[in-house]
Amino acid sequence: MKTFLYNVGYFHRETWRIVKSNLLSNLFSVLGTGLILFLFGMVATGTLIGNELLAKLQQEAEISAYFSETMDESVALLLVDEIKEIEGVWNARLVGEEESRSQMEDLLGEEAGILELFEENPFAAFIEIRIHLDSMDTVLNEVDNLNGIEYVRDNRAVLERLQGIIGGLKIIGTLIILAVGITTLIILSHMIRQGIYNNREQINTLRLLGAPGSFIGFPFVMVGLLLTLLGGALATILINVLINSGYSSIDGALTFIPLPSQQGLMMNISILIIAVSLVLGLLGSLFGLSSIGKNR
Amino acid sequence: MIRANGVYLRYPDGTEALKDINLHIKPGEIVYITGPSGSGKTSLLKLLLGMEFATLGSLEVMGMPMVKGKTASINKLRRKIGPVFQEFKLIDGRRAFENVMMGMRFLGMPPRKMKDEAKNALIKVGLEEKMASKVENLSWGQQQRVAIARAIARKPALILADEPTGNLDQENAMNILKILHNVKDINTTVLITTHATHLLDGIEDANFLHVDNGSIRVEGKGW
Repeated sequence: MKTFLYNVGYFHRETWRIVKSNLLSNLFSVLGTGLILFLFGMVATGTLIGNELLAKLQQEAEISAYFSETMDESVALLLVDEIKEIEGVWNARLVGEEESRSQMEDLLGEEAGILELFEENPFAAFIEIRIHLDSMDTVLNEVDNLNGIEYVRDNRAVLERLQGIIGGLKIIGTLIILAVGITTLIILSHMIRQGIYNNREQINTLRLLGAPGSFIGFPFVMVGLLLTLLGGALATILINVLINSGYSSIDGALTFIPLPSQQGLMMNISILIIAVSLVLGLLGSLFGLSSIGKNR
Repeated sequence: MIRANGVYLRYPDGTEALKDINLHIKPGEIVYITGPSGSGKTSLLKLLLGMEFATLGSLEVMGMPMVKGKTASINKLRRKIGPVFQEFKLIDGRRAFENVMMGMRFLGMPPRKMKDEAKNALIKVGLEEKMASKVENLSWGQQQRVAIARAIARKPALILADEPTGNLDQENAMNILKILHNVKDINTTVLITTHATHLLDGIEDANFLHVDNGSIRVEGKGW
């Protein structure tokens, strides 16, 4: 530790000297690492948005329970109370015939005019039940068995398909993250090996003078960290530009998609990319260093 | 300080560099190893620095057996040694001062002390004016003196100097030998190889070994 503190300035100068000794090559490796981390950033952004979407949709998971048209409203309200007691239900309420029609008008948007063709309101009152998605099967079964319930409608198919898509995206994402990690490690350890080869005379002399491996290797670890951090910074800039333009282009056009907050997303992705670049930089440098032979 | 019993060194190509070397060098001794080129002088220093290992026999430096596989221990031992290589092994692109500093950076010395030691060592070898020069711009003789400054600045327990006067004129060569003799004051053991026996005529406070064809032929000024 004492040796390290006494040589902070030396390590700093050595790091820049190693970078400058192979500047063009190092520049390309920063670009390469940056683009790879950008790819990783895109996958991570997609995963974060997908998770947000799924979480929101899971919160919105609801089933509709229809009862006999002859049932009195007070009896229907008792039924609502009974449903609220079922485990896995976090809210239930009675939706009257008029509200039911109004919901459909909202859903149809400009096409809602078609409803004018009906002389009478064709929509029946029902009980809107908000549920935890995990408990869908049991809730459906219990609601279906309640006295007075004639028919239960769920949107399970939609939710299951969405879950499937997001699950698939997660697998692809994991594969891309693995590929990114391995590629960055290969690029970086190769760069470190190249740096070691270029400085082999100096390294050999230091060894003969008794320099410990940590003293010889530290500037190379710093180079690895510097290169990946610069690559990470480049990736962060690119991904933030992409997120910004993505949010700007869908702003107002796709309001029904529950996107996470732009600032939060940019912050999280930036932190993630920098953290990943730090870890990869450290690992890549150590892999590269481990390749120094036992040269006497 | 150094103890060798029946040491042989055979290189992988079959060359027998050293044969039946027996040595006992005490702390603070100055020993000249003379002999013609290719006689085994450099090979002996390589054994002492752990760059090669005896194929037969036993060798101890500062109480440590010099055997293969003890990389960490040999590394620690090397920190107590001030080597002067025949080919200097200076680091190009650095100034003379930085090269001397480089030999001390991992010894746990405070920066101020390192700078003072480096400066003093360069003054001792007569390179006060060349401290800021890059080593590749120095003459061979000057580079050799930087290498010597790097070795003595470390205040080592043992100096292994391989032909330290090889590229110097008579006057500078004598000065360098004088400097190497002066480290005796701090009880440093000094081993100097040289084929320039004419420089040693007036030297009395040292021991002499003459190596020929890998073996110690004569002890004393027997050339």
